[in-house]
Amino acid sequence: MRTIVNGTILPLSVVVAVLLATGGGCGTSPSVQPNPGSGTAPNSSYSAPPGNLLTIAGYVGGEKIQLLQNENFRRILADKYHLAIKPTKAGSIEMASGADLTGKDFIWPSNDFAVKLFRDGNRKAGKDQIIFNSPLVIYTGWNIADGLIKQGIVEKRREGYFIVNFQKLLTMIVERKTWRDIGQDFDGKIMIRCTDPTKSNSGNMFAGLVVNTLNNGEVVDETSVESVLPKTKQLFARLGMMETSSGDIFRNFLTTGTRNSMVIGYESQIVEFIVANPKSRKLIQDTVCVLYPEPTVWSSHPIVSLNDRGDRLIEAMMDEEVQRLAWNEHGFRSGLAEIRVDKHAVQLDCIAEEIQVVTPLPGKKTFLRILDALKEL
Amino acid sequence: MIALRSLLLGTLGTALLLAVGCNGSSNSGGNAKSVSGGNALPTYSDKAFQIVSGSENEALKPILDRFAKERGVELRVQYKGSIDIMLDLEQGRNLPYDAVWPANSLWISLGDTEKVVKSQESIMHSPVVFGVKQSVAKRLGWIGKEVKIANILKAAQAGQFSFAMTSATQSNSGASAYLGFLHALAGSPDFLTSKNLADLQLQEKTKALLGRIDRSSGSSGWLKTHVVENYDKFQAMVNYESLIIEANKELTAQGKEPLIAIYPTDGLSISDSPLGYVDHGSQEKEKIFTDLVAYLKSELVRKEIIGLGRRAGLVGFDAKDADPAVFNPDWGIDVNRVIAPIPLPKEEVLREALNLYQAGGLRKPSATIFALDCSGSMEGKGITQLKEAMTLLLDPIKSKKILIQPSSRDIHIIVPFDATPREVIASKGNDPQMLKELLGKVQGLQAGGETNIYAAVIGGMEELKKAGPMDGYFPAVILMTDGRSDGSIESLREALQNQGYDIPIFSITFGDADERQLQDIARISGGKVFDGRKDMAKAFRDAKGYN
Repeated sequence: MRTIVNGTILPLSVVVAVLLATGGGCGTSPSVQPNPGSGTAPNSSYSAPPGNLLTIAGYVGGEKIQLLQNENFRRILADKYHLAIKPTKAGSIEMASGADLTGKDFIWPSNDFAVKLFRDGNRKAGKDQIIFNSPLVIYTGWNIADGLIKQGIVEKRREGYFIVNFQKLLTMIVERKTWRDIGQDFDGKIMIRCTDPTKSNSGNMFAGLVVNTLNNGEVVDETSVESVLPKTKQLFARLGMMETSSGDIFRNFLTTGTRNSMVIGYESQIVEFIVANPKSRKLIQDTVCVLYPEPTVWSSHPIVSLNDRGDRLIEAMMDEEVQRLAWNEHGFRSGLAEIRVDKHAVQLDCIAEEIQVVTPLPGKKTFLRILDALKEL
Repeated sequence: MIALRSLLLGTLGTALLLAVGCNGSSNSGGNAKSVSGGNALPTYSDKAFQIVSGSENEALKPILDRFAKERGVELRVQYKGSIDIMLDLEQGRNLPYDAVWPANSLWISLGDTEKVVKSQESIMHSPVVFGVKQSVAKRLGWIGKEVKIANILKAAQAGQFSFAMTSATQSNSGASAYLGFLHALAGSPDFLTSKNLADLQLQEKTKALLGRIDRSSGSSGWLKTHVVENYDKFQAMVNYESLIIEANKELTAQGKEPLIAIYPTDGLSISDSPLGYVDHGSQEKEKIFTDLVAYLKSELVRKEIIGLGRRAGLVGFDAKDADPAVFNPDWGIDVNRVIAPIPLPKEEVLREALNLYQAGGLRKPSATIFALDCSGSMEGKGITQLKEAMTLLLDPIKSKKILIQPSSRDIHIIVPFDATPREVIASKGNDPQMLKELLGKVQGLQAGGETNIYAAVIGGMEELKKAGPMDGYFPAVILMTDGRSDGSIESLREALQNQGYDIPIFSITFGDADERQLQDIARISGGKVFDGRKDMAKAFRDAKGYN
């Protein structure tokens, strides 16, 4: 059962002012936190809440861990809902098929496919609700972006907002064009790096986007998928060693990949990173270009409740204040339809106001077929 | 309760700022004072925060010490090759360290099969380059030009170029360079596959290039020091850009010509220095880790790290941060160039490539004299450990596990001795039956008699002379003993002078070892002393990294 709510997230000048004054609300004190945005923070920093809070335990995708450790977030949940969350980091596919659910009140994967997988295998599943959405994006450096603009593959929609014609980009890759072909000064063939699609959500979202694009932009079904699988396999077969977590691939990109690669990630990752490093806002935006594929796919972050306690979590996560914080500080767009985000709340030029062109992901059976095919590689 | 513990820790911390177990990578022939016992695994400590780090991080030690002092915590650092760190990680929950710091996150990915590394952060990065003597780079026409691996191979095949490089099965810089060679010489495929590795032409080309290596070691830091201290003997070395910078600071201070950094466009790799937290369940230690990461990435420390020639930044490396006195364009250091590393192959292929290097004999072969002390004092523990060490080499399953397999080209000369050499068993290759027979002989050795190390080593060297010139080999002596030898070092000194080529002597100590004689032997031969008492296997593998 999905609840649709009409509304907008209003920019609160007070919230913004507070965020600016405290430097984004997190990550300014050098001795406090590991570098957020890496998605690999140790999850044993959970500390026991005061006595009258209800602790809810569950599996959570890695990219949401920073949010759950956010002090402001914890306070809202404790004060308003008398809840504390005890997360265990796990991959979406992992938690949906075979993870031990003893003592767990919910699972919180990063895509809808995992929900369907979970329901198939499990009687315990209660309600599910999409909490956040984050579109898939491509991170790269400005040198590469400029090269792609010259080729008419990337287009500037407005200041700071760039879209990439995903069909054209895919064609370049399939045709084995090199970086030098787009005016770059280093060796290698044009490639988009992604996480292992059989293990990690961002990789398998990307696989979904690729198959649809190879199918001339039409969502594939059980029949049409067969005609695009060979080319899809060929593409992924060219990727060599792949990271298993979107946090790792993003972190590696930031360290050594900003001028020599294109990587798949979530929009939320760059927002979270900039909010955590407010003094470096300009440096980051001067170094990293966010390309919105057109069309792109949503990564939907649904909670599946396993009992009453899980239901309470869903209720809390749909709170407007929580949703606003999740956007302002971690870049998660609302999962509730027709809510527009306020770019200015996060002070970023590189973020799109609306994601207009989205392709739905293939259905569960088709998706399983795709993953099986990719496992053969 | 917690407050009291912190106070105690603080007091202990300031009183005991130790950095024990330092694998003295500043050792070389000229300064063999400190013993390398460093490779043995320490025991887990509740109070001390123990880090195992790649050898290239030694220059950052003062920064770590300062953190330890300010934070009031005892910090211990042990230096090893990155591949050794990978092998350590495979121990899983039994790993006694609180943090690992290899040169490349690749080694955490490969080694951390039990997922004990809970989080990691890249502290800095440095590309692996060729550092070529300026006069040599000029002669070869490489200055200011785009150089590819094929160009380097051509010069190597024409006998115009030689270089020092660490072992690809012990050290990240060697492994990265080796993978770069393979990738480039295979024609830059999307990524290296088993099919590429099976191609004999690729194997021959790689062999030819690796055959021009004139010095090996298990440690990038040691290699840099050795090349600087023996600069006349070398033309070039493969190492991190940061260590080329360190070397050049020392060389130019001595009025010598610098090494010019050459970035082969089709064979590059970048080390990303990930500091990884190994969780033992202590919230206190986790806090120390996060504080240490924050400290290393803080603005002031970051600038300090950059001052040491490492690239560091929140995102990538801002060329504006590079001091041209450090990232010196006169040395070919290029912070504006886009460094595009080769795409890494799949894990199975990577492991296959390492085995091809070691067992498959792509590497330059070794000619090793194993001088085995079987005197009376070795009875019991000593000779048992000695036999265990040789088993690591001669048992195919054990040697593969720690990547020291013999190849078909390797020469082994085994010299069990007491007052005199008992026999000299010369062999070549890795035929399984032959290795089995050698192992049988070694396992049958009995302890008894007096000790004369010198006669045994000289005996082995005489035998090696029969194999002719050693241009295509890394000759070395691995001496396993508890020291206390009769005889005179003078006979050895003379023999070394008359051998016709350098033959470093690496001693592994056992039992009640007396190192003084062994240090002298290391000094006159350009070798090293390893303490085998705590962990003989590690000492043996470490010694093997040098040839």
